[in-house]
Amino acid sequence: MNKLTLILMLPFLGFLINGLIGSRLPKKAVSLIACGMPAICFALTWSLFSGLRVSRLPVVEHLFTWVAYPGFKVEAALYFDQISAMMCLVVTGVGTLIHIYSVGYMSHDKGFARYFAYLNLFLFFMLLLVLGKNMVLLFAGWEGVGIASYLLIGFWFQDSDKTAAGLKAFIVNRVGDTGFVLAAFVIYFFANTLDFQEINAFFATGQTSVAVMNAIGIMLLIGACGKSAQIPLHVWLPDAMAGPTPVSALIHAATMVTAGVYLLCRLNGVFLHAPGAMTVVAYGGALTALLGATMGLTQYNLKKVLAFSTMSQIGLMFLACGVGAFNAALFHLFTHAFFKACLFLGAGAIIHALHGEEDMRNMGALGKKLPITLVTFLIASLALSGVPPFAGFFSKDEILWSAYSGVNGSLGLWLVASISSFLTAFYMFRAIIMTFFGESRVPARLEKGIHEGPATMSGVLVLLAVCSVAAGFLGLPGALREMAGVSAPFYDFLAPVIGHAQAEGAGGHPAAGGHRLETLFMGISIAVALSGIAMAWVFFSLRKEWAVRAKASSGYAYDLVSQGYFFDALYYVVVRFLDWVSESVLARRVEHGLDAGVLTAPNHSVNYASRLFSSMQAGSVQGYVFYVFLGLALVLLWGVLHV
Amino acid sequence: MDKYQFLITMAGVIFSLGLLGVAVRRNLLVVMMCLEIMLNAVVLSFVTSASRSNTVAGASMTFFIYVAASCEIALAMAIVVLLVKRHGTLDLDAHQDLKG
Amino acid sequence: MDTFFILLFSTLAVLFAALVLILRQPMRAALALIAHMVSLACIYATLNVHVVAIFQILIYVSAVMVFMVYTIMLLDDRDASYRQRFSRWVYPALIVAVLIPLSLWLLPAESGALVAPAGGPERFSFAAFALDFMKSYWFHFELATVLLLIGVLSAWTAVKEGLDG
Repeated sequence: MNKLTLILMLPFLGFLINGLIGSRLPKKAVSLIACGMPAICFALTWSLFSGLRVSRLPVVEHLFTWVAYPGFKVEAALYFDQISAMMCLVVTGVGTLIHIYSVGYMSHDKGFARYFAYLNLFLFFMLLLVLGKNMVLLFAGWEGVGIASYLLIGFWFQDSDKTAAGLKAFIVNRVGDTGFVLAAFVIYFFANTLDFQEINAFFATGQTSVAVMNAIGIMLLIGACGKSAQIPLHVWLPDAMAGPTPVSALIHAATMVTAGVYLLCRLNGVFLHAPGAMTVVAYGGALTALLGATMGLTQYNLKKVLAFSTMSQIGLMFLACGVGAFNAALFHLFTHAFFKACLFLGAGAIIHALHGEEDMRNMGALGKKLPITLVTFLIASLALSGVPPFAGFFSKDEILWSAYSGVNGSLGLWLVASISSFLTAFYMFRAIIMTFFGESRVPARLEKGIHEGPATMSGVLVLLAVCSVAAGFLGLPGALREMAGVSAPFYDFLAPVIGHAQAEGAGGHPAAGGHRLETLFMGISIAVALSGIAMAWVFFSLRKEWAVRAKASSGYAYDLVSQGYFFDALYYVVVRFLDWVSESVLARRVEHGLDAGVLTAPNHSVNYASRLFSSMQAGSVQGYVFYVFLGLALVLLWGVLHV
Repeated sequence: MDKYQFLITMAGVIFSLGLLGVAVRRNLLVVMMCLEIMLNAVVLSFVTSASRSNTVAGASMTFFIYVAASCEIALAMAIVVLLVKRHGTLDLDAHQDLKG
Repeated sequence: MDTFFILLFSTLAVLFAALVLILRQPMRAALALIAHMVSLACIYATLNVHVVAIFQILIYVSAVMVFMVYTIMLLDDRDASYRQRFSRWVYPALIVAVLIPLSLWLLPAESGALVAPAGGPERFSFAAFALDFMKSYWFHFELATVLLLIGVLSAWTAVKEGLDG
């Protein structure tokens, strides 16, 4: 069987085995199957990737013809090109590590087998999403990861809050999916195909008007916003932290939420010809980056801080797509997967050590007791804040430079992105100081049992931290490339498929005068990150009373931000309104009328007709004779008229 | 119009009078009489046709009709007696056992 | 002369048939029926088919009608059907009753002359008729008598069963 099909089907096989008989197997068997499948997939992906690097030819695997109508054909085909290769490596690689981590994290949980079944199911759908050759397969994977996310967020379903969070995630996703499906319809209407390569080729010819392209772009953006938790469909991500922490690491940091970015990059052929849509993507991404960062400032739940951080970082990726720097967005996706997963898993180690405590106000001085966690968390935070030589610096800096110099780029976008970087550094180190340093606010009953997790957990943390350091060197920004005289393997690998849109005319400031401006911006980013860290140290370690006074004096602004800018309240109003319409208007009026007209009217008429007929059978012999009489007369009359 | 056509029409009139009587009268015995009227009309038409074509076949057929009529009247009277015994009245409106 | 007789007796036949429908007492209806049958016999006589005329009187009037008179004598009662002669269907049936003769009148009559075979009106004299009848239809006649026998037997059985049960 072809390697691609194997890559796709092995996690599904793992889901079937663990799902159907997993509860009867010993834990070792379950974990072996569950972790073995992604590991094999990673090995297969690596071999395909090596082949791709040499041959530069995408691998296509045609599975079967799904739909074959005279005017409409959908093939189920898998496509492995450079973008899919990168996404697959991230998904299977980070996925395997998180599976291994989960063995230790979930070892005391009753639903051990169910957890790993769902996790493998998620992997299957995510691989379907990134390997699909057309929009239909991608959408199948899209919906599938939504289902897996719902199942995993509401994993501890006995708690109704957690199931509500799962439902919220799924429903908000669905709202975004409307945009996706509408975009698919419009694309099909104009391009008569749903295959990605054909779509990009068609829209490159420029036959359709810019207005249509913009409309398609906006609709695709809505779909991507739902999946990637961008404003305004971001409300589900903080609630999704109700699931187990490895789930948050895998789904809501490294893979599922990046599906939106993947979609935008796959259909870059559409976006490159829709300047209006690109602008919306860029500014929307910038807005999300900023708002997410501000909301992260006010959180006391460790996982929610990381959730808002994810939202903010993906906002940066969207910003990159919006200014045409698709490869920069993908590189940031790549590095972000490593350090965000490391951060989440580190938070998981803390929560595991504290037996479920997530509130940072009940933590503190954990650094001495959890050294490995501290070091890896620190490395990942430095990467996230954008401090060289860690990975985040190189990818984020490329985005910041493109925000200024790319298509639609401007100083304003760069400024917003920089501010959100500052805030990122600030709140991350606030979290670190509150959790690992200072005095211990841990409740007495938990004090004694704090220790590092098993080797499976710590080992994964170390590995991810190493990647957070090393991965950055795969994609050095332009200026550094010049200075060091090396090329960026990452960008070179992606070059045949996706690149950096050239700045066209208005709105872009291409690099002039060598790379001096770029180097200057780089220096500013480093300064921004370091000052953020320093300020966090001052506010939360040296002069704690400044933080308290700042919070007290900001008053309404603080409330606004900590309540999530009241998006939740707005959606609640909308939902209540729809509820009212459904009940008072539809249920009482419309359904009543339909009932009487459509459902009972035929009933009545049939009853009437049958009563009419049964009255003819009164049992009166003379009546029957009369009918014979009448028939005879009619026959004779017919004879007179027609003979 | 010659006499044969007239007689055939007469047969039709008498037949419809008989059928009308069966449908209209409520007394069981009168209904049986109207049945006889119908049979008579048929005999009339047979005889007219025989006379017109000067064959014996029509006249012979009348004999068989007489035989059938006699048979039938014998049986019919027996049934009438039994029916009246069962329902207690000659009124056909009371004989509604076939009601469905 | 022929025409007059035919017209006369046809009118009488129709009149008596209508009387059967109208008269209230069954006995009187039976008498009207007898008169109707006699006028039909007269029509047959006018047509020179005397054999059938005689047998009409013999069988119908003397056998069938006597049977009927017996039953009337047995069963006649002044019950509801005496007070209300007609059933519910009287008006619709009247309308229909007009349609049938009308249709028969309007139906196109068969054209084409029939060639009368040899042997004029004496064909239906007794001797000639009897010979012809016995030659061609003797078997049918025997069959008919058997059927008559069966009819009589079944009538007797039915009454016997009915009276016992």
